[in-house]
Amino acid sequence: MSSIGTSLLRRSVIIKETLIHKADPRTKFFFFLWISIWAYIFYDYVLTAIFLIGIIILAIIGKILKRILLSVAVTVLPWMAFGVPILSVLFPWNSTLMYKIEIFGWQIPFYYEGFAWGLTWPLRIGVCITSALLFYLTTNPANLIALLFKLKLPFRFIYAFAAAVQLIPLLVDEAGTIYQAQLSRGLRTDVGIIKRIWNFLILIIPLTLSSLTKVQIRAIALESRGFSAPVIKTCPYDIRFKSIDYAFFIGIIMATLIMIYIYIVYGFSPIVHLKQYLISG
Amino acid sequence: MKVLSKQEVISFQNFSYSYPTKRNVLIDINLKVYKGEVLGIIGPNGAGKSTFCKSLNGLVPHFYGGTVKGNVTVAGMDTLEHTVAELSTKVGIVFQEPENQLSGLALTVEEEVGFGLSMLGFSRELIKERVKEAIEKVGLKGLERRSPFELSGGQQQRLAIATVLAMKPEVMVLDEPVALLDPIGKYEVFSVLKELIKEGSTIIIAEHEIEELAYLTDRILFLKEGKIISLDNSRNVLSEISKLREAGIDPPSITELTYELEKELGIKFDQYPIKLSEAVKLYSEVLKIK
Repeated sequence: MSSIGTSLLRRSVIIKETLIHKADPRTKFFFFLWISIWAYIFYDYVLTAIFLIGIIILAIIGKILKRILLSVAVTVLPWMAFGVPILSVLFPWNSTLMYKIEIFGWQIPFYYEGFAWGLTWPLRIGVCITSALLFYLTTNPANLIALLFKLKLPFRFIYAFAAAVQLIPLLVDEAGTIYQAQLSRGLRTDVGIIKRIWNFLILIIPLTLSSLTKVQIRAIALESRGFSAPVIKTCPYDIRFKSIDYAFFIGIIMATLIMIYIYIVYGFSPIVHLKQYLISG
Repeated sequence: MKVLSKQEVISFQNFSYSYPTKRNVLIDINLKVYKGEVLGIIGPNGAGKSTFCKSLNGLVPHFYGGTVKGNVTVAGMDTLEHTVAELSTKVGIVFQEPENQLSGLALTVEEEVGFGLSMLGFSRELIKERVKEAIEKVGLKGLERRSPFELSGGQQQRLAIATVLAMKPEVMVLDEPVALLDPIGKYEVFSVLKELIKEGSTIIIAEHEIEELAYLTDRILFLKEGKIISLDNSRNVLSEISKLREAGIDPPSITELTYELEKELGIKFDQYPIKLSEAVKLYSEVLKIK
């Protein structure tokens, strides 16, 4: 397996003995849903940034800070770097002028509405991704599968979930192998960006076919080991709510009450006082 | 020569199978495998070796669909009447690609070995005990906490064998288990197999490494285009040089050499050697006479 594929699967879960790791997967999954919904309810980049900082603090506790920061760097920062300058100038609902910059004799106006939109949306996406990663990176997949069975979810759904967990590293690995094969058959890499995109497009058919075959082999291997047996699965570890989970839920309830209060009293943009735009949701 | 038990573990009765997309992959297979027996399966590509293996734990036809005639019974269970999951404690399969048969859901070697047992709802205590035992048997002790993806090909294949051993199946099926391994990996896997054979396990092994089969198997099933060409003790099947060549299979080198010498020198040998030690003994005698 190529190094990227290996590392993706091998390091998808970071084994540590922290409070976050000890928490029940259901608690962490509920937290992911809860904070993502609040990030979308409020249209306030300061508050959303506070949510993100909260997740980063939990990532520090869970000793997965590096991975979380990396995902923030990959998802949030590039969108901000592109979105903020473009939207500050071109956002259709721009009305509040912040300042003007002179470029080549042109006065370019920068507006608050576009600026705020360009900040808020990447932060919202960042909150979703990082909270999902907080759940995923600290939860043992075998435990998760056993939990899904325990929750009596439909078998097909669990199978699809298991396949999805396996598919990501397989795809990355296969893409690497096929790309190297194409390179050895003369695929040129010293070309422009359009040609490079085309190079990746021509990987899609062999990549899809080969990954499907591999997923099928894995499905056979899973099936041969009793995956579909209609029995109560044994979880490798204890899956039950512990004191950490109850403490977490108490915190979530308190935070929910505070946020409901803020929403009712100060509205959806309590700190930066933005107007609501249809497009912003 | 090993004395075979009379206890029947596998029985194929007039078994024929067609995939939904390919007809007559296995045609009218009739055979019995006995407890403690090691049966090798040889044949050119497309002979039906893998399909034969997959019919033992019900993947054929439950997973692939297709049409079946006749039946296969393993440890008293008709594979058509039982699910793959039910058969998983009776038949354990090790496939060709070590990496693709990992569950992809376990973080460590011991979790991977215990995965099948936990899917079957065994108790944690029993899983722990079986995992320890299986890991020791395949020589992966000390690597329990390692990620399965950090292992070498040979180690991964031994891990795959351990995952099967942990289920304590009555029959172990290996479908070209060393085809993708380097020489060290092959050596590691064959060493484990030799140990299992010593312990009296019932093993079915489809393999291209025909020379190794001579050392491992009691009988060999020779398939071609889905039909049985030969089913006999290993020596007799591996000595059918012209039949093997005709099917595109290389006979063991020493057996082939003896066959050629017999033709060339006009000497009649009682039997062809299939192992190196037998060849040394035979040629020593011939050279002494000369």
